[in-house]
Amino acid sequence: MIDTSGITMRFGTVEALTALDISVGDGVTGLVGANGAGKSTLIKILLGLLEPTSGTAHVLGHDIATESAEIRRLVGYMPEHDCLPPDVSASDFIVHMARMSGLPATAARERAADTLRHVGLDEERYRQMGGYSTGMKQRAKLAQALVHDPSLVFLDEPTNGLDPAARIDMLQLVQRIGRDFGIAVLVTSHLLGELEKVSDHVIVLDGGRLLQSSATSDFTQHTGGLLVEVLGGDAERDAFGEALARTGLTCRPRGQLVAVDPPPRDLSLHALVRDTAADLGLGLVRIQPDQAHLEDVFLTQGATHG
Amino acid sequence: MAERTGVIHDIGYRGYDGPREGTGALALTLYVTGLRHAFGLGRSGRSKVLPFLLLGLGVVPAVIVVGVVTMVRLNSLPVSYAAYLGQIQMLVTLFAAAQAPVLFSRDLRHRSIVLYLARPLPPALFALTRWASLASAILVFTLLPTLVLYGGGLLAGLDTGDETPVFLRSVALQLMLAALLAGITGLISSVALRRGFAVVASILALIVVAGVVLIVQEIAAYEGIEAVGEIAGLFSPWALHNGLAQAWEAGGRSTIVLTDAWAWTYLATALVVCAACLALLVRRFVKVGSR
Ligand SMILES: Nc1ncnc2c1ncn2[C@@H]1O[C@H](COP(=O)(O)OP(=O)(O)OP(=O)(O)O)[C@@H](O)[C@H]1O
Ligand SMILES: [Mg+2]
Repeated sequence: MIDTSGITMRFGTVEALTALDISVGDGVTGLVGANGAGKSTLIKILLGLLEPTSGTAHVLGHDIATESAEIRRLVGYMPEHDCLPPDVSASDFIVHMARMSGLPATAARERAADTLRHVGLDEERYRQMGGYSTGMKQRAKLAQALVHDPSLVFLDEPTNGLDPAARIDMLQLVQRIGRDFGIAVLVTSHLLGELEKVSDHVIVLDGGRLLQSSATSDFTQHTGGLLVEVLGGDAERDAFGEALARTGLTCRPRGQLVAVDPPPRDLSLHALVRDTAADLGLGLVRIQPDQAHLEDVFLTQGATHG
Repeated sequence: MAERTGVIHDIGYRGYDGPREGTGALALTLYVTGLRHAFGLGRSGRSKVLPFLLLGLGVVPAVIVVGVVTMVRLNSLPVSYAAYLGQIQMLVTLFAAAQAPVLFSRDLRHRSIVLYLARPLPPALFALTRWASLASAILVFTLLPTLVLYGGGLLAGLDTGDETPVFLRSVALQLMLAALLAGITGLISSVALRRGFAVVASILALIVVAGVVLIVQEIAAYEGIEAVGEIAGLFSPWALHNGLAQAWEAGGRSTIVLTDAWAWTYLATALVVCAACLALLVRRFVKVGSR
C-alpha cells in the first residue's frame, strides 16, 4: 500500500522526519509516536500536500512526486484538526465531498447516506455541524474520508478529544474499516495501548525516526511461555531454572522471575513447573503467561534512543 | 438513559465500483456549487436574503426605465447599459464584497480547504474555479438589469440595429468588470478571513477608491488637466469600466473622455490587474495546503 524510502522533511532547522523507510500493507496499521514525532507530517507528504526535503515514496503504486493527483483519487484523509464548516449539515457536506472525489450526483447521495450510517451519525446528520459535539464532529470527519470508497484511508488521531466510551466506539470502527470494509487504514495516535488492540501492524516513530515496525501479533500474542517466580533470592531462582532446564525446557532469568520458553512438545507446562518446584521444596509465588506488550517495546527501545 | 447516539449499525458495507469523474467534471461541479452559493442557493434561507435583495434593487430601476420608455414612446434609452451600471455601481460592489467571503474565506477559515486539497482537484484549479464562480455571479448581477433594458427597450419599439451593438459592447465590458471585481474581492477575502474585515476592506478598496478617483477626475476636468484624470482612472475598476464604456460606445457616461491610446491603456491595465489577482490567489491556495 505504502512504501517510503529515505523520506526526510525539514522545516527550517527542525527536522520533522529523518530518512524514513517504512512499508504499510493491508489491514490496519497503527502509526504511533509522541507529540511532534512527525506522524501528521508523514501523512501530509504521502498525500502530496507537503513536498519532502528528500526521499521518495509510493502510495498504491503511485509516485508521490509525480502522481499525487492519482493518489488523492484513491485515498481518504481524516485530518487531526477541526475542518468542518459550521453552517452546513453533515448530510449536505458529505454529499458535496463525495462529489469532489469524483462520484456522480446520485452515487454521492447514496454513499453519503450509507457512510453516515456506518459511522453512526443518524438524525443529527440533518443538523448544522457547528452544533455538533466533538464525538459527532469526529464521525463526520471520518465519513468524508470514507464516502468515496477509497482503497486506503489516513486517519490522523481519530480518537482525539473523545471520552473513553467514544474512544472505544471509534477504535472498533477503525478496526471494522480495515477488516470488514476492506479498506487499508493508516491510523495515528500517541497512545500505543489504544492502537495495539485494533492494528495488525504497528509503526513506532520517535523524533522523526523509525523506532519499530512489526506485526502487532509479533509482540502481543501470548507466546505460550510462562513467567514463574519462586520464594527466595537469586540462588533459589537459579536453582529452579537449572532444574527446569534439566527437564529439557529452555529458560532464562528475567529480573526476579524465570522466563520459560514454550515447550517443544505437547506437555503441561504448568504441571511440570509445579512438580519441579515441589521436588526442590521451593514455594511458588506466581505463574503467569509471558505476554509481551507494545508498551514494553516502546519503553525499552525508546530509552536507548534517548 | 436513552440509547447512546453513535452506536454503530450493523449494516453490511458496500463498496463503489461505478464511474468516477475526471478533473474537468470536478471543477465544473465546484464551479456550479460556488455560483449557487454566491446567491445563497443551497445554503441557509438567511444567506439568500442579501444577494437577492441587492439583485432586486439592481433590477427594479431598469424595469422602471423600460416602463417609462414604453409609455412615453422614447426612441432611445434615457439611461443606456453601461451608464445604468455606473448608477448601480454601489449595489454591484456591495454584492461582490459581501459574497466573495462565501467563496474565498469560509474554506480557509474553517480549514475545510484541507479536505479539498486532499482530493483530486489541484489547488491552483481550485482557486481559479472559485474565482470563475464569483466572476460569473457578478456577471449575472450586472447582466440581468441590462438584459431588462435591452429586451424591454426592443419590445417598446427601439431600433434593434441601434441597440444590439451597444448592448454587446456593454456585455464585453461587463465581463472585464466581473473578472476584475472577482479578482480583487476574492483576493481580499482569501487574506482577511473574518467576513466583516473582508467586506470592509473590499468596500474601501472599491467604493471609497472609486469615489476618490471620481473627485480627482472632476477636479482635473474642471482645471483642464486631463492627464491627471486619465491616470487617476487607472486605480479603480469602475473608472476603467466607465471610461472604456464612454470611449467605445457601450452606452456609458464618464467624466473623462479617453483618447484611443488611453483606452487601450485602460484595457491593458484591467488585464494586468486581473492576471495579478489570479496569480496571487493561486499562490495563496497552493501554499495553504502545506500548512
Ligand atoms: N508547517 C510547519 N512548519 C514548521 N514546523 C513544522 C510544521 N509542521 C510540523 N512542524 C514540526 O515538525 C515536527 C513534527 O510535527 P507533526 O505535526 O508531524 O507531529 P505529530 O507526530 O503529528 O504530533 P502530534 O501528536 O502533536 O500531532 C514538530 O516538531 C513540528 O513542530
Ligand atoms: Mg499530528
